[in-house]
This record gives sequence, C-alpha cells and structure tokens, in this order.
Amino acid sequence: MNAGSTGRMFLPATLAFVLLLSPLHASAGQEGPEKSAALIREADTLSAEGNIDSAIDRLKGAVTADPENPGAYDRLGYLFLRKGQADDAVNAFNSALRLQTDLRTAKTGLGLALLKKGDLDAAKKELTAALSLNPYPSMTHYGLGLLYEKQNDYEKAIVEFKEGIRTFKDGKR
Amino acid sequence: MNTTTKRMVVLYLLLFLFVLSITLVCSAQAQALLQTGAQAPNFTLSGVDGKDVSLSAIPEKKVVLVFWSTWSANSKKALRRFEEFYEKFKDRGILIAGINAENQTISPEDRENIKKTMKELGITFPVLLDRNLGSFHDYGVIALPSTVVIVDGKITYELPGLPLVGTEQMFDYLLTLVGEKPRTEVVPKYQPRYDAIADANLGRAFIKKKMNMMAYPLLKKAIEKDPRYMLPYVELAKLYVTDGDNANAEEILRKALTVEPDNVAVLTELGYLFCMTGRIKDAIDILDKAAQMGSYTPSHYYLAYALGKDGRLKEALAAFDTALSLNPFDYRIYLLRAETYENGKMLKEASADYRKALELLLQISN
Repeated sequence: MNAGSTGRMFLPATLAFVLLLSPLHASAGQEGPEKSAALIREADTLSAEGNIDSAIDRLKGAVTADPENPGAYDRLGYLFLRKGQADDAVNAFNSALRLQTDLRTAKTGLGLALLKKGDLDAAKKELTAALSLNPYPSMTHYGLGLLYEKQNDYEKAIVEFKEGIRTFKDGKR
Repeated sequence: MNTTTKRMVVLYLLLFLFVLSITLVCSAQAQALLQTGAQAPNFTLSGVDGKDVSLSAIPEKKVVLVFWSTWSANSKKALRRFEEFYEKFKDRGILIAGINAENQTISPEDRENIKKTMKELGITFPVLLDRNLGSFHDYGVIALPSTVVIVDGKITYELPGLPLVGTEQMFDYLLTLVGEKPRTEVVPKYQPRYDAIADANLGRAFIKKKMNMMAYPLLKKAIEKDPRYMLPYVELAKLYVTDGDNANAEEILRKALTVEPDNVAVLTELGYLFCMTGRIKDAIDILDKAAQMGSYTPSHYYLAYALGKDGRLKEALAAFDTALSLNPFDYRIYLLRAETYENGKMLKEASADYRKALELLLQISN
C-alpha cells in the first residue's frame, strides 16, 4: 500500500462515526424527513455489507426526499470517497457544509476528498479547520498524515498518524 | 440529613451499583476472548447464500466454528479437513460452520472469491460472512484459521492456527463428540471455575472503563478461586505494567509459570515485559520459545519487536511477516513494526505502518 493509493475506502465504522456526529433530525409526521431517515438507515446497512452502489442509490433518494438533511450529503460524500469519486465527494461535502457550516465530519471529508484530487493546499486548509472544531480528531489527524505523506514529509506524517492513534485510544475518534 | 433521606441516598446508591454491575457484566460478555469454559458469544451473520444464521438458533448442541479467509494458505487445509469430517458425521448432531473473516467488509469481489474457494474445495457446510469482523473480535481470534468448539452454548475447545499435533488432538476430541472412539487418548481441555471466569471478566470490564483500582481485587480473587486459570494472571500483569509496576507484573507472570510452565500467553507477556524493561536477550529467548509453540500471533510480533531492538532488522521483519500472515487485522503488528522502522531511521516505511495501524483502528481499508 502506498500513500498515494486511490480508492481508499471508508468503512462502516466511519459511517457509524458520521452517524453519531451528524445531526439527523427526521421530524415526526413529516413524510420527506421520515422517508429520508429510513433510506439513510437502509444505506448504512447496505454499506456495512459492502454494497456501496446500492447504498449510494438510497442516499440519493434520501437527499431527494429531504434536501435539507446535511447528514445524508455527508454520508454520500464518504461513500463517493470509498468509490474513489473525488469530484462527487467534494460536491456532496460542500452541500452538507452549505446546510451546516460547522459539520466537522463533512469538513474532514472535504479535506480527504481534496487530498484525493491532489489539491494539497486546499486539503490542508480544510483539515486544519476541521481539527480546530473537532473534539474527535483521530480521523482528521489521519487526513493530515496522508497529506504529509503525499508531500514526502514523513516526519510530519508520522507525528500525525501517531497523534491519530493516541487520540483514538483516548476515545477521541 | 434525616433518616429517610439517608435511606433514600443509600437506596439510590445501591440501585446505581446494581445498574453499573449489570452494564459491566454485559460489557464483559461482549468482549469475552477465546477461553475454554466461557459462554460462547452469540452472533447473527449472513450466509453466503444470503440467509441469516444466529448461533442461538442453531438446533445442534455441538457447533464447530472455523474462522478462515481465502488469503490464508492454512485455511484451505483446515476447510478440507472439516469437510471430510462433516461428510462423515453431519447426521450425529454436530454442525460445522465456516466463519469467513476475509476483510473488514466483504466486497462483491470478496464474496465471489469465497464462493469460488468453497466450490473448489467442495464445501457443503454453511459458510457465514463476518461483517466488520464482529465475531472475529468477540471470539478474540488471534490467527486464521482458528477453531472454536461449542457444546451447549459453552466453549469447550479452542485452537488457533493449524498446528500439526494440536490439530490431530482436536479432531480426536471431535470424534468423541460424535460418539466415535478417538485415535489417541483425549485429554479434556481445562475448564476454569465459573466464578473465577466471572470475576476475571468483571475485572477486565473495569479495566476497559479505566477503573483500574476496581479491577485489581477482582483479578486477584479470580486467581485465588482458580489458580490454574491463566487469563487473570496475564490481565493482572498487564494492569501492573499500565500502572508502572513492572516488578509486580513480573512476579505475577512468574507465579503463573510455576502453575503452567509452558503457557504460551504467559511466556509471551513475560517476554514482552523483558523487552520493555531493556532485557532484550532474555526477551528474545523466551519469545522465541513461545513463537515456536505455534500460532499465538503476539509471540511472533513481540519477538520481532525484540529482534528489532537487538539490531537484527532482517530477522525482525521476517517475524513480523509471520505475525501478519496469521492475523493482518491486529493493529499492534503495524504499530510495533513502525516503531522498529522509525528506530532504524526508515521513515517512509515507518509512516506507512503507522498509517496502516491507524487505518485498522478507524476501520478504513483500501
């Protein structure tokens, strides 16, 4: 495996992490948000089973049912990342951030997507911003580690990965 | 505070402690590691055929779980042996179930590979897909393949890897379960006392919640109740190390070795302790002995780490490779190899391994 490998996949725990941190407030009695929440649950199950294409379809249905749900765009972004579709991921994370500017998982996701596109400066800006508002920073340290690896700065990459491991062990995921 | 208020406070306190103990017991069960005599953790997994299977719903009282993957060479050998056994004895109230631990998630390609392997080997027993490696972790699997035998809901036999002698002994034990005469005398696996297991599990649950002071008396009590039960010795030693008391850690491990001199887990922990306290030659000796006993993965990667500390990088990397061939899902292998690389100023390799360790913790894969 090398630092620049494409197709890095974000697995169910990541999605569970997103699920925990994202605001999913499907209001009772409203068809759109309720339908959206149900489709998101289906998408989570499908992605846990490795069925990414079907999960993406469900999430597209979820954002159609409730275009104001940042969590649905956020998840969609991570699934696009998992498929290696960086442009689609950037669009999805930007949509999430338009709805909720301080959505830290989307900020981290945007940084990772920009990293995949090779836009290192923009990626660093997003990841650094995510770190400042993120009390669960191990994923963000991971992103910064990837960034420094791409710049062949292994000393800094090691610092970030070690910090990611430490914060993970401290429960800051 | 009047008497009624005092009573209410005591009542609430007792209620809180009760709820806490229930939570901790549940947590202990959830993280129960491979251990003979313990209750087998339940699971519900999808079969390759798409049907869900729960351990608790399997009608057979005797169940053999074979953890395997297509990338592990010994897994195929194990599956062949179990298929032969299943063909002969499937009508004797025993079920063989393959638990595929291919990857952290099973992709469509993985699923095809699994089906292809099953077809190639002619596997007729059910094969279940371990999504997110949940059962792999619940059963504390440390190597692939691994076998767990469950009778009436309890683990009665466990075998990591496919060691020559151990495998034959296990099949002899399986013969006794189906009413056949074993080829050699079967020595039943030691079953620790139930109350000692309960104390040890509760102690481990406290450790997980970083309540170390609560864990000490429970682990000591578990040892008192059943001195032949090795797990609490190891947990207690780890606890002493965490709290910086290496002398007591060593003492408790040496005490365990007076009871069972060749226990691979105890030898491995003692070797690692030696390594961490700078006694590298002693560490290598004891870890080499443990590694030669077979498929206990930590003995291989701690040996590798010790060899690295001794400046024997080539041998260290070979030992790390052995550990990875047994269990590529253990982040500690990558973490220790990263440190070994970093000490050798091989920063690119170190970075890649730290990254891989973090990816395993965060469950990110390529």
